[in-house]
Amino acid sequence: MSDKYKKILMVLIPLMIAIAMPLIVTDNYFRGIFIMTLIYIIVVLGLNFITGLTGQMNLGTAGIFAMGSYTTALLSTKLGISPWLTIIGSIIMGLIIGVGLGYPSLRVQGVYLALTTIGFGEIVRILISNFKFTNGIMGIRDIPAFTIGSFSFDDKLARYYLYLVFVVIMGVVAYRITNSKWGRLFKAIRDNYEAVQAVGVDIAKPKVLAFTLAAIYGCVAGSLYAVHMEFITPSVYTFDLSTTFIVMMMLGGIGSVPGCILGAVVCTILPELLRDFGNWYWIIFSILVLLVILFRPNGIISFLKTRKKSVKEGVK
Amino acid sequence: MANVLTVEHLTKKFAGLTAVNDLSFTMKERTIHSLIGPNGSGKSTTINMCTGSLPITSGTVKYRDEIISGRVLHEVASRNIGRTFQNLKLFGSMTVEENLMVGMQAQMKDGILKFLVSPASAKAEEKRANERAMEVLDYIGMYKYRNETVANLAYGQQKLTELGRSIMTAPKLLFLDEPAAGLNPSERVEFVKILLKVFDDGIDLFLIEHNMDVVMNISNYITVINFGSKIAEGTPKEIQNNDEVIAAYLGSQFKKK
Ligand SMILES: Nc1ncnc2c1ncn2[C@@H]1O[C@H](COP(=O)(O)OP(=O)(O)OP(=O)(O)O)[C@@H](O)[C@H]1O
Ligand SMILES: [Mg+2]
Repeated sequence: MSDKYKKILMVLIPLMIAIAMPLIVTDNYFRGIFIMTLIYIIVVLGLNFITGLTGQMNLGTAGIFAMGSYTTALLSTKLGISPWLTIIGSIIMGLIIGVGLGYPSLRVQGVYLALTTIGFGEIVRILISNFKFTNGIMGIRDIPAFTIGSFSFDDKLARYYLYLVFVVIMGVVAYRITNSKWGRLFKAIRDNYEAVQAVGVDIAKPKVLAFTLAAIYGCVAGSLYAVHMEFITPSVYTFDLSTTFIVMMMLGGIGSVPGCILGAVVCTILPELLRDFGNWYWIIFSILVLLVILFRPNGIISFLKTRKKSVKEGVK
Repeated sequence: MANVLTVEHLTKKFAGLTAVNDLSFTMKERTIHSLIGPNGSGKSTTINMCTGSLPITSGTVKYRDEIISGRVLHEVASRNIGRTFQNLKLFGSMTVEENLMVGMQAQMKDGILKFLVSPASAKAEEKRANERAMEVLDYIGMYKYRNETVANLAYGQQKLTELGRSIMTAPKLLFLDEPAAGLNPSERVEFVKILLKVFDDGIDLFLIEHNMDVVMNISNYITVINFGSKIAEGTPKEIQNNDEVIAAYLGSQFKKK
């Protein structure tokens, strides 16, 4: 099979599954899970820019996600702005976070960077829990749905397909950036930042770019989440959520766009399937994650790629 | 001939240890200039200060007419000053070709917005860079390894990759920290051939090297340091016959009548 053909199938098959899923599984609860999967895919695709490709630990993704959610929630409920336009607000919020937090965080690396990002996430959570205009721990209710004319995406099936469009667009953009000179530069910074400097590149710019992309993706996903839930409270945006995003990325395949998608899918749906095991499900899930990370450092996506490698080795 | 590099009173102190001590020398245009000296004499530290990899304690470094001391690595590099490292610094998870392509990055000016709205222009830019990478791969004899992951390569091939990446930046001056170290004799011969080709193509070379056959054969001028201070400078012939250099470093086998 030619490489191009294979690539097309790699896109078409998952896309067809994604289109068919909510038609096969019509239960509203599961359709909700599928929507959450789409939202998480966007977050993880973003996280992949900064942590997966550039190698800068970010444990504050829940904070970014929260900023997106609250941007949409506040703009739409307090100012009556259309949810569509709040997405643009959310992108601007992502830019502000990316640049405003990206530049200062250039000064710290490794564990210190990880701690800084945890700090960011916690500060966001504490602020939204205490500010009056965010309605504190009571959260924000009655976030309106996306509408086109008189058609409203408040039905789960319609919303699922709308969000799938978001995933496809943002997935294509992520894939293109990953396979461009920027993706290459991000990886180069991860592998050896001094060598990048030695070829005349100021690593501050690509690092801030990667951080900004992560923030924009995280914020847009946060917006979609707010609209989907219609009601948000600060208790969702925890450090736990940030680490879950990291697990999704590592499990699926760090640095790989299909890997991130797969990771988000598996980590959202598998716990639901394991639910029958009662309290054991979390342990089973954790062990599975641990096994993959230990024995498949490039994630479960690497199972799909082994064939290619062995063919190449055969030729050698 | 103009000076490409003017180093004046360069000093580096690490907590308590003076690694480079009041070192001054000049490097002329169109020369291969070598810096030699015993282990730990401050050679790498000198290059690291010249290229902005390490902050300077005192002194100045001038590249042509511009003072570059005080600038950091990427600023120095963007003045067409390339370098390799004594302990290879490579992008280990990437292929040889990708390693070289990163060398082209600073010359690829398209912004991210242009990239997102105009795939054609991005493709054209990438194609130009890729063509250049293929040329350089051919030039350093690494074409057939272009799709290999760098971490899996032999040491000599990794060294060539690092050299190729620095050539991709289109340097006018190249600092090489022990390019022949760790190579077997035939690899060394090949590497030297490539270095001479690089020099002939208009790139001035500043070389740190322990292999005296290499140094004495290809250098136009040599600066010798010991304990961070200059003890001699001159042509290879002058250096080979300098008693202090023989005592401190060379031993007598290199003495030529
Ligand atoms: N970052 C550092 N911190 C402290 N001391 C250092 C540092 N780098 C180098 N030194 C010390 O400075 C001295 C000079 O080191 P340098 O690496 O410049 O020597 P060199 O001439 O390149 O030696 P070699 O031939 O072994 O590469 C050595 O004593 C070394 O231990
Ligand atoms: Mg050295």
